[in-house]
Amino acid sequence: MSSPQQSDPVTPSGQKAVLVGHGLALVGAVMALVGFYLPWLGFVGGRGLVATLSGARIGAGPVIRLGENVVVFRGSPTSYLVVVAAVIALLVVGLAFRRRRLTGWDGLTLITAGLLPLLVLWGQFGAAQREAGKVGILIQTQYGLVLVYLALLAVFAAGILHVRNYSRQNPSFRNTLGAYAFMSPATFLVLVFFLIPVVLLAVLSLTDLSSANFGEPWNFIGLENYRRMFSDRFFPKILGNTIFYVVTTLVFFNVGLALVLALLTAHINRRASFFFRLIWLLPRITPSVVYIVMWKRFTQVPPYGIINQFAGWLGIDYQPYWLNEAPWVFVILVNGFVGASFGMIIFTSAIEAIPKDLITAAKVDGASTLQVIRDITLPMLRWPLLFVTTYQTLSLLVSFEYILLLTQGGPGLYTTEVWALTAYKRALFTYFGSNQWAYGAAWGFVLVAIGIVLSIIYLRVFQFDQLVQEPKIDVL
Amino acid sequence: MRVELENLTKRWGDAIGADGVNLEVDHGEFVAFLGPSGCGKTTTLLMIAGIYKPTAGVIRFDGQVVNKLAPKDRNIGMVFQSYALYPHMNVFQNISYPLKLKKVPQEEMRKRVERVAEMMGIGHLLDRKPAQLSGGQQQRVALGRALVKEPQLLLFDEPLSNLDARLRLSMRSEIKRLQLDLGITSIYVTHDQVEAMTMADRIAVMKDGKVQAYDRPEELYDRPRTLFIAGFIGNPPMNFVDVEVVQVDNTFHARRQGLDLPLPADRGEKAAQDRPVIMGIRPEDVSIADEGIAGEVYVVEPLGRDDLVDVQINGAHLRVLADPALNLRIGDQVKLKINTDKVQFFDPQTELSLLWN
Repeated sequence: MSSPQQSDPVTPSGQKAVLVGHGLALVGAVMALVGFYLPWLGFVGGRGLVATLSGARIGAGPVIRLGENVVVFRGSPTSYLVVVAAVIALLVVGLAFRRRRLTGWDGLTLITAGLLPLLVLWGQFGAAQREAGKVGILIQTQYGLVLVYLALLAVFAAGILHVRNYSRQNPSFRNTLGAYAFMSPATFLVLVFFLIPVVLLAVLSLTDLSSANFGEPWNFIGLENYRRMFSDRFFPKILGNTIFYVVTTLVFFNVGLALVLALLTAHINRRASFFFRLIWLLPRITPSVVYIVMWKRFTQVPPYGIINQFAGWLGIDYQPYWLNEAPWVFVILVNGFVGASFGMIIFTSAIEAIPKDLITAAKVDGASTLQVIRDITLPMLRWPLLFVTTYQTLSLLVSFEYILLLTQGGPGLYTTEVWALTAYKRALFTYFGSNQWAYGAAWGFVLVAIGIVLSIIYLRVFQFDQLVQEPKIDVL
Repeated sequence: MRVELENLTKRWGDAIGADGVNLEVDHGEFVAFLGPSGCGKTTTLLMIAGIYKPTAGVIRFDGQVVNKLAPKDRNIGMVFQSYALYPHMNVFQNISYPLKLKKVPQEEMRKRVERVAEMMGIGHLLDRKPAQLSGGQQQRVALGRALVKEPQLLLFDEPLSNLDARLRLSMRSEIKRLQLDLGITSIYVTHDQVEAMTMADRIAVMKDGKVQAYDRPEELYDRPRTLFIAGFIGNPPMNFVDVEVVQVDNTFHARRQGLDLPLPADRGEKAAQDRPVIMGIRPEDVSIADEGIAGEVYVVEPLGRDDLVDVQINGAHLRVLADPALNLRIGDQVKLKINTDKVQFFDPQTELSLLWN
């Protein structure tokens, strides 16, 4: 049973706040549109609209110069955000008026519609002002921008006001808001450090940006970079190297050796196992350069190389520079010794988390140690195995620093060069002083795509959804 | 199978798990290890199972020393408090696992699993995963897994502790009946004295790694050899009161302020010391009467069939089982009659019984 009062939770004071919110949002939305179009509609020396329609390419930046001393704020891609925000705000308010109430989600939309372009514009305003300062500013432009600012602020404030008011009256919405608040840091990180960079990478890979044309507007050249990449003479070699490197290191070290180490250390004395784990962690905590220098020393020709010293004592005359002799062996050992410790730690904690009763039960049931490992321990490590395999595949795919330091992809042409190293070299390794950023971005983007596809395949193969299945319980 | 433990000891550095445990379990007998947590009962059980290696002492199965035998060669079945079902296997795979390890042929394996599952009433659950079962069903599966290989010795490690009270009651009788029918020698670890009393042929009461007593339940109940056993066995627990036992004329009296109890000659004589002793009396041996020791009702706990009444006598408290029809209230003045044929006496220093040692 709910009384009319309960079905309409808005109190008189709340109603006032909602009205204020509506008003602010509406005014803000209109102002945003007007403010944004003001410079365009001919206020700037009568040339704004013309300049926009006939102006330079989209994407040149927030400010362009027309004639001697005229600055026009015009539609850069980011400032279109303002228009989108204003339209969204208008839509939200309009729809809310139709259903005669504003929901909490409308409030959230308003906040986003106000805040996001505001932040973007803030950065642009500085650039606009600097530019304006150089050439003398037209006052209308400033008015326009200030108007846009105020408008966005109004939308933002309306959103805040409304969400605050609404969540006070709707506990369930407040809880939802809480859930989103807890998710927001992770969402922010994924957005800022994954989604946005990937989009930028994709866009960059469609241009011809390099150190030769740096500073000029981006020149979009379609899929040319990809065509060039796939028709590269060394493309098959690099692809093969990458697969070989990732699979071998993963199977033998990052998962294989890690699992063996975890199982061995789980079955020996606690203190000894701690010591062994510590030893296997050493490569990871050694600075990369020091670690690689050690390996290089290890493989050097006499009288420096440690392998060859031992060979000498054993009376073996064949004493080459081992790194050149068997580059892949050392590339994989170097990466594997670092990579094994990650899986080892994950597996060890997973093994120790298996209830002791299960192991006891299996032993009493008649299992030998090896059978316990095969039938109980390994099946219960499915989730950590999935995790380590997925995580390490991805990190191996994009890792190149040890190879760069050890062999630089050599010896010779592309002997140990992997995909990520190629991307790095094309984009940033200034061998001839030319950084082909866009071309490197194409290599990088394909690598990201491969990584995503691989993760999806892994999740399917390991039946991830079954690992989080809800139990069905019925009473005896 | 006959099990003998001789001076069985387990130490980890300074920590003592079991300390010189001596006992024998006859063929087909049901023995309970009873004690509070940390008393060494599970440690002893795990040594019998072969999971722990004894620091000292001998374990014999049918006269054969099995100290060095691996768990898999001991032909035992074990049931755990946590059920310890393999979560990634379904019920059939769980029950058949011991047979699979023994390389029993597929067809026979299926038959034996089905027979055991039928016996345990879980035949319809064979393709479920443990997570999809209730606690009681899980425990039946665990029992089935322990029984399927037809072990000569069954070990129970607090198997009913995770079940709710009603289910515990029904599983208790089921396990007892099953053990009787199959005649498998069984050792049952529990901290619940009711479980031990109701199920076991003999109970080993353990404390601090030592066996305090090893006897039939009624013996332990009627003739507790130590203060610990007296207090641990019986529900509601025994009352303890400090008294002085003195001889007046030809009769012995247990005395303290507000209490003067004439004792039967045999008990009184053993209890008479030149210093205070601890008198123990079970709640069911005290009754509310018209005449007797005066006291005041301190707390009333209705148990349904009885009221458990805490009566204060000059600072001493006696728990009494009283008829709810008496309708006692806090503060009521009552008179208590004590069945002196059942009183126990203990030495406060050694905590040993003055009557049965």
